[in-house]
Amino acid sequence: MKRSAAIQFKAPPPTIALAASRRKKQRERAAFLTVMYLFMAAVAVVLLFPYAFMASRSLMSGREVSGLPVRFFPTAATLEAYQKFFSGGSHYMRYTLNTLKVLLCNMIAIPLSASLVAYGFAKLRFKGKGLLFAAMMGTVLLPGVVLQIPQYILFVSLGWNGTLLPMTVPNFFGGGAINVFLLRQFMRSLPKDLDDAAKIDGANALRRYWSIVLPLCVPVIIFVWIGVFNTYWGDYYSPLIYVRSSPDKITLALGIYNETTVNAPTINDANLRMAAGVFMSLPPAVIFFIFQRQLIDGIVMTGIKG
Amino acid sequence: MRASTGQTNAKTAGGFFKKSMAGWLFTSPMTLGLLLFTFYPMVMSLVYAFSNFNGVEQFDFVGFRNFTDVFSDRDFYTVLKNTFLHAAISVPLNLVLSYLLALLVNQRIKGIASFRVFYYLPVVIPGIVSGVLWKDIYNPEFGILNQMLQNLGLPPGKFLEASGTAMASLIVLNLWTLGASMALWLSALKNIPEALYESAKIDGITPVKRLFFITVPMSTTMIFYNLITGIIGALQTNSTLVIANSKGRGPDNSLYFYAVKIYHEAFDGTRFNYGYASALAWILFLIIALLTVTVFKTNKWVYYGEDG
Repeated sequence: MKRSAAIQFKAPPPTIALAASRRKKQRERAAFLTVMYLFMAAVAVVLLFPYAFMASRSLMSGREVSGLPVRFFPTAATLEAYQKFFSGGSHYMRYTLNTLKVLLCNMIAIPLSASLVAYGFAKLRFKGKGLLFAAMMGTVLLPGVVLQIPQYILFVSLGWNGTLLPMTVPNFFGGGAINVFLLRQFMRSLPKDLDDAAKIDGANALRRYWSIVLPLCVPVIIFVWIGVFNTYWGDYYSPLIYVRSSPDKITLALGIYNETTVNAPTINDANLRMAAGVFMSLPPAVIFFIFQRQLIDGIVMTGIKG
Repeated sequence: MRASTGQTNAKTAGGFFKKSMAGWLFTSPMTLGLLLFTFYPMVMSLVYAFSNFNGVEQFDFVGFRNFTDVFSDRDFYTVLKNTFLHAAISVPLNLVLSYLLALLVNQRIKGIASFRVFYYLPVVIPGIVSGVLWKDIYNPEFGILNQMLQNLGLPPGKFLEASGTAMASLIVLNLWTLGASMALWLSALKNIPEALYESAKIDGITPVKRLFFITVPMSTTMIFYNLITGIIGALQTNSTLVIANSKGRGPDNSLYFYAVKIYHEAFDGTRFNYGYASALAWILFLIIALLTVTVFKTNKWVYYGEDG
């Protein structure tokens, strides 16, 4: 729209020659767009092919999945792999339950803890605030690789080895610097009048936090939740360190890790692995489709800018 | 007036704590968390690095022995070489390609939003699932990639299972998650003032020049951010624990990365070399810190906006 306005502004009264050149330009534009769409579609096909293949392969029988030539589409789609996946013998349901326990705990702990701390930073004055904030933000740059060994030794000495506690309890303590930062930025952008009015009415800080500020933070908390979900739903590394030798504590991600590495996987079970992969991909995909605008358009960056 | 000043002065001694109390209480989870789960472990990690601690019976200080042992450890050179090779190729490659992808989907044409979704979708899939999936695709015998090569009349490859092709195969599969950086670029591109493009258009500046003289310079902050996080992330990669054979080492150690080596030393179940593993972690930390500082020092090319 703006472009054509600019052209018209500069253009002399239209003549026949000009109209012809404009038509040529339109044709060029159409050709350019066609090539562009074809190229973008080709990239999309390449990027999505593996996941389509995973879904397709999960519908094959154990025999077909291990047969040659390798096919993209199943000759006869079967739910054999899914039946195996959901049956009692596969342990996958127990693994999923463990993952859900960790998730439920963290989805309460992290927003609660992070918003409490964020409220302190955003709305209250206290001695040592700057220092504490700097110390917190400094941990963002700290590579996790330095902390994993001493944390492991600490958690073992607390008797947490073989339990899900190392993946949950620490999250009650602050809820992560980035989450605090996002919530603090958002709280600072809230109108001050609300808080002041409540203060005059005699509401103490805890009350102002709980009944005024926290409800307004729901958009950021949803964003934090998505991050928490994706992190702990797919995390296989912490469970690998802490619950590897406790079969009843194994999480879904670790279960899948074991089935593909430690437990000497066979090609006949490829359909089961693919079914597990589909099962594991669905929740994050659904969440993504619901919140895609916010996620791709980068609420993170708006948060940092605010 | 005087009375009220006197009152405030009297208050400050006792009021000092009272005034700060609420703030301290609200932030106390973070204070405790930092002390218990960050600072204390940091200090202990340094202590372990100078000891032969193995979790149970022995805990003697050994001076710099762990740090000097590194040089006679053949694995150390292997993991250092692999980790740096992987980072040196993957980080720039991902930066450039994801930037191009962002430019592509930043065009204002019909249906572009769905392409953004398509390109981002692989990022949504958990890493463990992608690992399982790629292992299947790359499978030399039963993988679909060799089937496709065969159909095209091309020779088959061994991909992740031959030392010559393992690294290249890993770098290629990393490209499927370009969408993550693409999303960050998109938010940067959106913040470039439209007026710059408008005036450039009126001045008759070509689209290619607009890209190099407006778009790229205006996104340098994001380039800087992506570069730093890219380096920090790449040097700590442990995704090969899933996709590489021989316990994450790959064929002939060709996919053996630094973070996986630390995992093997500390948690593998056969060795409990917490001292040595801590020393390795600190060396990696120093390397990362050094690189980060270098990038920060050479950030003259970053444009932080008019007000600095």
